[in-house]
Amino acid sequence: MLHEITLTVNGDQYAIAVRSHQTLLQVLREELGITSPKRGCENGECGACTVLMDGLPVNSCMVLAPEADGTVIETAEGLSVDGNLHPLQQAFIDHNAVQCGFCTPGMLMSSKALLDRSPHPSEDEIRYALVGNLCRCTGYVRIVAAVAAVAERE
Amino acid sequence: MQPFDYYRPKTFAEAFELLTRPDRTAVAIAGGTDVIPQTRDGIRRPDLVVDIKGLPGIRDLVVTSMAPCCGTGPDECLYVGAAVRMNEIARSNIVQDHWPILADAAASVGSEQIRNRATIGGNICTASPAADSAPALYVLDASVLIKGPRGEDRCLPITQFFTGPKRNALKRGEIVAGLLIPRPPAGTLSYHEKLSRRKAGDLSIVSVAVMAFVSAGNTAWRVALGAVGPTPVRAPESEAILAKRHDAEAIDRAAASAYGCCNPIGDIRSGLEYRQAMVVNLTRKAIRAVVAQLPQA
Amino acid sequence: MPTSTPNPVGKSVPRVDAFDKVTGSAKFVDDMAFGPGLLYGKLVYSPIAHGLIKKIDVTEALALPGVKAVVTGQDSPTPLGLYLKDRFVFAHDRVRYVGDSVAGVIAISEEIAERAAALVHVEYKELPPVFDPYEGAQPGAPLIHPDLGSYEVVNFIFPKPGTNISEHFKLRKGDVETAWAQCADVVEDTYTLPQIQHAPIETHIAVARWDPSGEVTLWAASQSPFAQRDILAQSLGVPHGNMRVISPYVGGGFGGKAGISIEANVVLMAKAVRGHPVKVRMTREEEFLSTNVRQSLIANYKIGCDAEGNLLAMEATYYFGGGAYNDYGVNIARAAGYSCTGPYDVPNVKGDSYCVYTNRPIGSAMRGFGMPEIHWGIEQIMDQLAAHIGMDPVEFRRRNCVRTGDTILTGMTMPQVDLPTCIDKVTAAIGWDHESKPSAPNKARGKGIAIMWKAPAMPPNPGSSAIVRFNEDATLNVYVGAQEIGQGAFTVAAQMAAEALGVPYEWVRVSANPVDTKYSPYEWQTVASRITWSMGNAVKAAAEDAKGKILDTVAAYWNEDPEDLDIKNGVVVSYKSEREQALKNMVIYGLPNENFEGWQGGPVVGSGKFMPTYVTGLDPETGQGTRAVVHYTVGAQAVDLEVNNDTGAIEILKIASAYDVGKAINPDLVMTQIEGGAVHGMSSAFEELRFDDKGHPINGSFVDYKIATSMDAPRVIHGDIVEMPLEDGPWGARGVGEHVMVQTAPAIANALYNATGVRFKDLPLSAEKVFLALHPEGVELSCELPEPGSSAD
Repeated sequence: MLHEITLTVNGDQYAIAVRSHQTLLQVLREELGITSPKRGCENGECGACTVLMDGLPVNSCMVLAPEADGTVIETAEGLSVDGNLHPLQQAFIDHNAVQCGFCTPGMLMSSKALLDRSPHPSEDEIRYALVGNLCRCTGYVRIVAAVAAVAERE
Repeated sequence: MQPFDYYRPKTFAEAFELLTRPDRTAVAIAGGTDVIPQTRDGIRRPDLVVDIKGLPGIRDLVVTSMAPCCGTGPDECLYVGAAVRMNEIARSNIVQDHWPILADAAASVGSEQIRNRATIGGNICTASPAADSAPALYVLDASVLIKGPRGEDRCLPITQFFTGPKRNALKRGEIVAGLLIPRPPAGTLSYHEKLSRRKAGDLSIVSVAVMAFVSAGNTAWRVALGAVGPTPVRAPESEAILAKRHDAEAIDRAAASAYGCCNPIGDIRSGLEYRQAMVVNLTRKAIRAVVAQLPQA
Repeated sequence: MPTSTPNPVGKSVPRVDAFDKVTGSAKFVDDMAFGPGLLYGKLVYSPIAHGLIKKIDVTEALALPGVKAVVTGQDSPTPLGLYLKDRFVFAHDRVRYVGDSVAGVIAISEEIAERAAALVHVEYKELPPVFDPYEGAQPGAPLIHPDLGSYEVVNFIFPKPGTNISEHFKLRKGDVETAWAQCADVVEDTYTLPQIQHAPIETHIAVARWDPSGEVTLWAASQSPFAQRDILAQSLGVPHGNMRVISPYVGGGFGGKAGISIEANVVLMAKAVRGHPVKVRMTREEEFLSTNVRQSLIANYKIGCDAEGNLLAMEATYYFGGGAYNDYGVNIARAAGYSCTGPYDVPNVKGDSYCVYTNRPIGSAMRGFGMPEIHWGIEQIMDQLAAHIGMDPVEFRRRNCVRTGDTILTGMTMPQVDLPTCIDKVTAAIGWDHESKPSAPNKARGKGIAIMWKAPAMPPNPGSSAIVRFNEDATLNVYVGAQEIGQGAFTVAAQMAAEALGVPYEWVRVSANPVDTKYSPYEWQTVASRITWSMGNAVKAAAEDAKGKILDTVAAYWNEDPEDLDIKNGVVVSYKSEREQALKNMVIYGLPNENFEGWQGGPVVGSGKFMPTYVTGLDPETGQGTRAVVHYTVGAQAVDLEVNNDTGAIEILKIASAYDVGKAINPDLVMTQIEGGAVHGMSSAFEELRFDDKGHPINGSFVDYKIATSMDAPRVIHGDIVEMPLEDGPWGARGVGEHVMVQTAPAIANALYNATGVRFKDLPLSAEKVFLALHPEGVELSCELPEPGSSAD
């Protein structure tokens, strides 16, 4: 079944036709060419597909495409403003919070949502907010440090 | 995923019609955090998905005096619409202030991403014996407001809603509209814990909810456990023991009695022996945690 | 941030790939677009652990609209494999594990391919399975590879035809039998561990296109583009020059994307639909079901020392559960065999390391390559012996650990290593000498230490090569065939090129994304923690080659001796005349003679290679040889943990690590390896692939195969870098990417013993196991327990 939906992604409005059983992740990657949200498990476990939907981090693999009608979506591609990296992106670079990079877009979106909601989180809060984003490379040390550094600054 | 049709009805009548279409396999979806993985894995094979999030009142989280089906009891209820998300419950000031054990239970679900989609209605409808919201709902004496296609609403105590592992009391076409949760008296103490293999983001091995409130010089207790049998359980014998005394020996007897209420199995998350031991230890810990908060006699 | 960093080796300069990865512009295979002609493939898997294929019926699958072709084992009769050719692309006549691929369906969409895969009907005759490697190695066990004797095998692997033993490595040094009699104390014990998986966040994925012209292109998430090209060319009969492998960034490898896994399947499927690219991506469930794993191990150790605590003798017997195909696993058993003493100086050694076929997923390279597996037991039995003679475990290790110049178990002289300093660093960092109190009355606290060694396990002649080429503005491109799998390979390549040339780090571009066998210089594989060392040497050589050419040109231009010239910060300088020449433009256009009467020089291109020339074979009966391996990296880890007496939960409070990397090319990247490795090592101690008694996986998803989350990782990870330079390392560097997780599990076990007095010999660890071991009588209660369910409603 086809649905005509409109959604805003990284500030751009889209009006597209989607099928009932597609997921938001598929729509972003395959219809809109937004590839930073990744397929990691497609079961809501790994968080590599995390996007912000109306400001809240969700696993885009678990949102049906028609459910995204009328929503505002943010992904890593939209984090920089006027060509300047978002403080979190810069912090990830500065703190070497990136290794293979596959979990990075999801980590950034979860981190941004945390700081939007709670600008000065404790280390416990940071770790708790990132529980749904699996990383096999970094051991999370630098990711937590990068988020904490941005939180401290603001 | 296999293809299916998707509808988002605006009225309950529309929803009932969709859910009862003959020759269709329909499923209601709220947060999708159970239905989507189940559909992807082929456990469910719907050809019709009914998104209930647009139904009137289904997202409400309000304190109400609606008491027709709360039975006797306080006339202030929390109404939680079926499609209210776990993070909304966990972060609501009202819930944190007056139904804190429900906030704790909601906060124990999965991850941030899951809690922003998973709903309390979905959690009880999936009816896993390990449902994260269940022990809290059990000690809170919650009721489930069910709307049906023939126009009859009914209200079921939560303890009657879970009928078996992954089985609930809904009849074909029925929809959970919301939960009605009486407000515990002022000064109620509570403790909730979920034990799992990892510190967070995991299903539970054993979960426990304990509540106590002092009224007319007596302390009333409520104890409930999850992941310990075909459905979550209340432990009325434990509650009776604690109502009389809550010294160390009574706590042990209450924990032993809770163990007697449970009929756990060994599964992929825990062997039987460990789960049984954790019923005792976790119940004991929860009771002690509440006792520690009691005003000195 | 400085915009110009001269002499970047030894500095923690920013990664070259971080910007792309944080902006989401870094592309992985799944992000690449192949146009509307792209077809999708799905593999069909065996549902049984062991059986003969009687019949494959693909008619129903082919009849489904949208299905283009179905490929089976009949379409590829040539066996393939890295060290032992024991596999077919699709199962030929026999399936050997639940998840063995028997067919591939190609269709116009993923959905249709998935539906069609379910319509491929295979008839099997079930055979008795073998799951335990010890049982599988006994005479009379059902044979998983009856034709083992006819398989092509490299000359340093020794399978036993007529058995399930695909490799038997023998180590005989000195005389253990006599030595036991001289020991003051002897301990013997058995340690086991199950199969676990790499679980990279990016699953295995490949796209292949077989052009009608005969050119074959494979895009894969791969640590081994050149090795894959080689294996594919050989097994599919395609000339190497026609076989092109392209690999962009890899979303985590850990060895799982080394060698060959699904790539051959995808190439064969592409052959059936010539001209169309075919994409196969493993779902997470398929990743767990079908792709490769770390082998299981049953290890028996016997060690003895004299009254002073000097190790005199050691006997090690390994039964590796190699899984259904051991083409890579045989080398793990071998590497374990020639390292079986662990990082210790032991004069008398008897080692037998067997790789055994089992009807389980394919045991293949996983971070550590046999070292985590064997150190699980070694580091614990050392503690056991130390306890027997009343010696502190740290003292025992200081006394017995291997040092530069020692003659190790293969008869090789140990190249430069500094393990004592590593031990000193971690014991200081963990506070070994003072007992830490538990944080609550219901907790127990303990500390443990473990040391390690590992050599790159490679054939004797693995080569690296590199090219350096300038641009007009004197920025330069470094070409390597090494892969960026997150470890920082591209960054250190840029650092080393800049250092060797004498230009700022920021002038260097790494031309390796993607690695493309058509354009990239040869690199054996990105495995074995060899890239900083081997690729580094090649990059250094290429940069020095380019520098030499520049200096020759400018020296001739100045009529000076090139020996008096150097390049500093991108400028050629003469120490003699103090003249200067900027690199800009001259590296392409050369230098004009006076009055433009002709030109000198021209485009500068440097090339370099590195291949070790000194590795010798080992005697098949004794494992002795002049030089078994290129070098060892050593390290130490100490763990401080608490155990919750009521739940058995283990809380790792702190991990302290120290590794001798020879020279830290980028110290902060070494630290990030230490941190990631500590958590990976910790997580691995709690992981297990579980199967039912028919061999079906029962925890094949992240729901029940749990890896460490941000909440599970220890809050404090301390790292120290030790630098005893390696003779033939670039600036003295040797690798560390695997070593950082090798000994974490036994360090935890040793700390658990310290905290609880219980020794855990069988992985995985779990709160459940710890609790049941601490409370063999059950929970402590002041009253009796009723029957379960006795008071249920």
